[in-house]
Amino acid sequence: MAAIIELQRISKHYSKTIIGVDDVSLDVEDGEFVTLLGPSGCGKSTLLRMIGGFEAPTHGMIRLAGQDVTHVPPYRRDVNMVFQDYALFPHMTVGENIAYGLKIQGRSRAQARDMAVDALALVGLPDKIDQKPAQLSGGQRQRVALARAIVRRPKVLLLDEPLSALDARLRDQMRIEMKHLHEKVGITFIMVTHDQEEALTMSDRVVVMEKGRVAQDGRPQDLYDQPASPYVANFIGTTNFVAGSLTGRSPAGTRIASAAGDFTATADLALPQGAEVTLGFRPEKVRLLAEGETAANVVPGRIAEVIYYGLGLRTTVELAGGTQVHVDCLLPDSLARSAVPQPGAPVRLGIEPHNVFVFAGRVAA
Amino acid sequence: MKKTLTAMLTLGLAAGPALAEGTVNVLTWEGYADPSFITKFEEESGCKVSATYVGSNDDFAPKLLGGGGIYDLITPSIDTTALMIDLGLVEPLDTAAITGWNDIYPKFLSQEGIQRDGAYYGMPYVWGAIAFMYLDSAFPTPPTSIADLWNPELKGKISLWDDKSSIYVAARKNGDMDIYNLTDEQIEKAKAALVEQKPLVRKYWATAGELVDLYKAGEVVISNTWAGYQSGLLKAEGVKVTEFIPKEGAEGWMDSWMVVKDTPNKECAYKFLNMQLSELGQCGVANVNGYSVANAAAAKACMPAEQYAALHQDDPNYLDSLQVWQALGDRFEAYTNAWNAVKAQ
Amino acid sequence: MIARAPRNLSALLVLGIPLLWIVVFMLLPYGIIVTYSFWLKSYPTFKPAFQFGNYLTLLTDVQYLQVLGRTLKISILVSILSLGLAYPFAWWLVFRCRSQALRTWAYMAVIAPLWVSYLLRAYIWKTILGTEGILNSFLMSTGLISEPSSLFLYNQFAMVVTLTYIFIPFMVMPIYTALERIPLNLAEASADLGMGPVQTFLKVTLPLSTPGIAAGFTLTFCLSFGDFIAPFLVGGPDGNLIASVIQTQFGAALNWPLGSALSIVMLIIVLAIVSLSDRLEATAHTGAA
Ligand SMILES: Nc1ncnc2c1ncn2[C@@H]1O[C@H](COP(=O)(O)OP(=O)(O)O)[C@@H](O)[C@H]1O
Ligand SMILES: [Mg+2]
Repeated sequence: MAAIIELQRISKHYSKTIIGVDDVSLDVEDGEFVTLLGPSGCGKSTLLRMIGGFEAPTHGMIRLAGQDVTHVPPYRRDVNMVFQDYALFPHMTVGENIAYGLKIQGRSRAQARDMAVDALALVGLPDKIDQKPAQLSGGQRQRVALARAIVRRPKVLLLDEPLSALDARLRDQMRIEMKHLHEKVGITFIMVTHDQEEALTMSDRVVVMEKGRVAQDGRPQDLYDQPASPYVANFIGTTNFVAGSLTGRSPAGTRIASAAGDFTATADLALPQGAEVTLGFRPEKVRLLAEGETAANVVPGRIAEVIYYGLGLRTTVELAGGTQVHVDCLLPDSLARSAVPQPGAPVRLGIEPHNVFVFAGRVAA
Repeated sequence: MKKTLTAMLTLGLAAGPALAEGTVNVLTWEGYADPSFITKFEEESGCKVSATYVGSNDDFAPKLLGGGGIYDLITPSIDTTALMIDLGLVEPLDTAAITGWNDIYPKFLSQEGIQRDGAYYGMPYVWGAIAFMYLDSAFPTPPTSIADLWNPELKGKISLWDDKSSIYVAARKNGDMDIYNLTDEQIEKAKAALVEQKPLVRKYWATAGELVDLYKAGEVVISNTWAGYQSGLLKAEGVKVTEFIPKEGAEGWMDSWMVVKDTPNKECAYKFLNMQLSELGQCGVANVNGYSVANAAAAKACMPAEQYAALHQDDPNYLDSLQVWQALGDRFEAYTNAWNAVKAQ
Repeated sequence: MIARAPRNLSALLVLGIPLLWIVVFMLLPYGIIVTYSFWLKSYPTFKPAFQFGNYLTLLTDVQYLQVLGRTLKISILVSILSLGLAYPFAWWLVFRCRSQALRTWAYMAVIAPLWVSYLLRAYIWKTILGTEGILNSFLMSTGLISEPSSLFLYNQFAMVVTLTYIFIPFMVMPIYTALERIPLNLAEASADLGMGPVQTFLKVTLPLSTPGIAAGFTLTFCLSFGDFIAPFLVGGPDGNLIASVIQTQFGAALNWPLGSALSIVMLIIVLAIVSLSDRLEATAHTGAA
C-alpha cells in the first residue's frame, strides 16, 4: 500500500504566540481510517483543514497521492470534507446538494442525478432526494453531508467531528454505519474527534495530538496497551499513576521502588539506575487479591471508597505513601455481591508486570 | 386632582374667547408680518398677530380648503384673488372702516380681481414687477430683450421662474402681447418656445432663496425675478446684479389683503388692515421686502426721496408699462397644463 | 359564555386598536384618494362624479407617461447603482474585513448619514457638484479640466448620484444582514466540492443573499420613486419626477382628481414591486428556513 497523504513537518502559526499545529509529520495509507484525537484546541481541525486546503501551512509540505498540494486551493484537491455542522446548502434540495460537485467533474445532469440516488441509498436515505435540508433531522442531514462528500469519489474523505452534533443513541449507531461505509466505499477516511471511544471503535489508526504535536500514533489496542506517555495513557482510558524510581533490572523485568511498595514491570526503559519514573496501571488490569492469593506484584492498601456502577465496582484504594488509585472489578454474579469490600478494610492489589507502564520522569498527580 | 382639572378647564374656557378676540391669524408671504413693524402694532392694538407663511399663490386654496378655518386674513396675488372669491373663501370688505382707502393708486382699485358685484374683496397692499435680472460681470452690453434668455451663447446660464408666468414670458417673446387672453394656438407656440429654450436652462427656480443661491454659486447669469426682492438679497451678499424691464415689457403683480369668510376676529382683522395701509405697514413692508406699496400718500409721507423714486412710487409710466396679472378663470388649466408639459419633456 | 365576554373584549382591544389605526390612517386616506380620482375638475375646484377621464388623461396626454417613464428610469438607475456599490461593500465587510473595529466603523459610516436631515444631505451634493463646487475645484486642481464643468449639477446625473447617496443605507443594511446570515462554511463546502470563488459566489452567496437584494432594491426603488426633493434641489429642467407632478396637481393646478389618479397609478406600481420582491424573498426563504 502506498501513502495517499504525506504530511512533512507541517506547522501552522496563526501568530507568534498562537500555534495551531507544530511540526507534524504523518503518512496515511490508501484506504486507511485514521483518527486525529485530542482535547479541544490541540490543533486537530487545523491539521484537517490544511489537508483540505482551507488553511495554508506556514511550514512544511503536504502531498496527496504523491503530488505536492501544499498551496493548491480546495477546489482543485481531490479531497472532500464532511463539516462539523454539515454545511448543507439551504437553498438546494438534498439531490441538488449531492449533485453540486458533480457537474464540475463533467457529469451530465442525468448522470449526476443517478449518482445522487445511489449515494443516498448508500447512506440509507433513498426517499429524501427532493427535500430541503431544513426538512431533515440532524441525523439525516449528517447522512446527506456524507453522501455529498463521497459521491465525488475523492481520494481522501475528511470528517471534522462528524458525530458531535448527534445525540448519544444516534451517535452509537452512526459509528457503526460509518465504519461499514468506509469498508464499502474503500476511500481513505481521516476523522477528527475528541472522543476517545469514538476513535478507538472506528479507526484503523489513531493519532493522538497534544498542543499541536503528535503525542502518539498507532493502532487502537497499541495505544491502549502501550501508551507512549502519561498524557496518552490518561487520554485513552484511565490510568493510575504512582511515582517511583528505577532500582534495577532482573530477568522478570525492570524493578521499581515506590512509597507504595516495589514493582516489577515488563517494559524496559533505557534509563540509569535511580532515575525518577512514573508507574502506570489501568484500573481494570488490577485484581483485589483474596486471602492466600498471590501475584507478581502485590501492593497493600486500604479501601477508601466504593462506587457501584451496575456492571461492576470502582474501588478507590489508598496505598502506602498516600497515593490513591482506582480498581475496577466486575461482579460476575449475585453471590459475589456479598463479598463487596467495605471502606476501611485492608486489601492487597495484584498487578501483572506486563500491565505496568513505566514512563520517564514524574508527572503531577 | 379632579379639582385642579376643573379649575384648569374653567380657566381655559374663560381665557379662550378673550384670547381669540385678541388674535389675528394671517396666512401670508414672508415679510408681510415682519416683527419690525408688527410688534408695534401688537402693543398699540392689543391684538396678537400669528403668521403662517406660504411659498406660492397655489398654497392659499389648498390650505383654506383642507379644513381651514384658522386663518383670518390672507394675501393672494391679483391673479389668485378671483379664485378665492369664486371658492367662497373670502368676504366683502367694509371699505368705510379702512382709513386711507382712497389714497390707493386708482390703477389698483380698478382691478377686477378684487371686486365682485360692486363690492371690494381685497385691499391693495404692495406691488411690483416680474422684472428681469442679469449678473453685471457677464454682460459687457446690458441685455434689453426677453430674447436674451433664448441666446444659445448663454447655454446653461439661464434660469426661469417655475410658474405659469413662463408662458407669459414666452408669449411676449413671440409677439403675443395679450398674455392673459392667449388662444390655444398662442399657448402652443409659447410652449414650443419654452421647449426650445429648455436645453439652455440651468434650472427653473422655485423659491426666492433658490434664485439667490443660483446667482451666488455662479450657476446662472440671467433670469426673471421679483423686482426689488432677490436683487436686494444679492446686493447684501455682494453679488452685483442689475434688474431691467425688457423691451417686450414685464408683468406686474399686486398683493391684496383679503378677509376670510366669517372670521370671528373681525375687530382685530380690521385694526390690522388699517395698520397695513398706514405708514407703519406700508413703509414697514417696503423696508423689509423692497416692494413698492399701494398707498401713494403713505409712501410719500414715510419714504425718503431716494427710496420713493427707486420704488417707482411716483412713476405713472412705469406702473402703466406693467401688465398686471389677471385671473385666468377657466383658461387657467390651459396655461398650467402647457407649463407642466414643458417641464415633463 | 359569560366567562368568555371579557376575554373577547380584551381580544377586541388588542386587535381593534391596530385595526382602527389601519382603517383611519391607511385605508381611509386611500379610499378618499380613490374616490377623488373619479371626480371631475370643474372651475374653481372639482365636483363628484364617477368617470375614468383622469386615468384616460394620464394615458393619452404624453406628458404623464414621459414623467412616469423618467421616474421609473431614475429609480431603477438609483437602485442598480446602489446595488452595485452596496453589494461589494457589504460583501467586503462580511467576508473580507478582518478587523471587527474597522467593520463596525465602516458600517456606521454608511448608515450614519441616516441620522442627518435628508434636506441637508441633498444640499451637500449641491455644494459638491456645483459649477464652483468641490468636485470642480478638485478636478481643476488636478489639471484634469481647465475650466469648471456644469455637467455635474442640475441634471439627471446629479439626481441619480444624490438619491443613491441618500438611499444607499437602505440597500446596505438588508444585504449586510443577508450576507452575515450565510454560514462561512458554506463557501468552504462549495470550494471543497470543486467550485472556484466565482462559481461559489454565483451558486451559493448570491442566491442566499437574494432576500437582502430584493429588500434593498424594493426600498431604494420605492423611496426614489416617490422622491420630490432631489429634483427640486439638484435636478435640472429635465428632472421633473412623478411626485413633483402630483404635488403640482394638488397645488398649482388645483386638480385634485388628476393628482389622485396619478397617486393611485403610483401606488399600484409600488405595490407591484413590493409583491414581486415578496415573492422573490418567499422562494428564497423556503430554502433557507
Ligand atoms: N483562524 C484562527 N486564528 C487564530 N487562531 C486559531 C484559528 N483557528 C484555530 N486557532 C487556534 O489554533 C489552535 C488549534 O485550534 P483547532 O485546530 O481548532 O483545535 P481543535 O480542532 O483541536 O479543537 C487553538 O489554540 C485555536 O485557538
Ligand atoms: Mg475542532
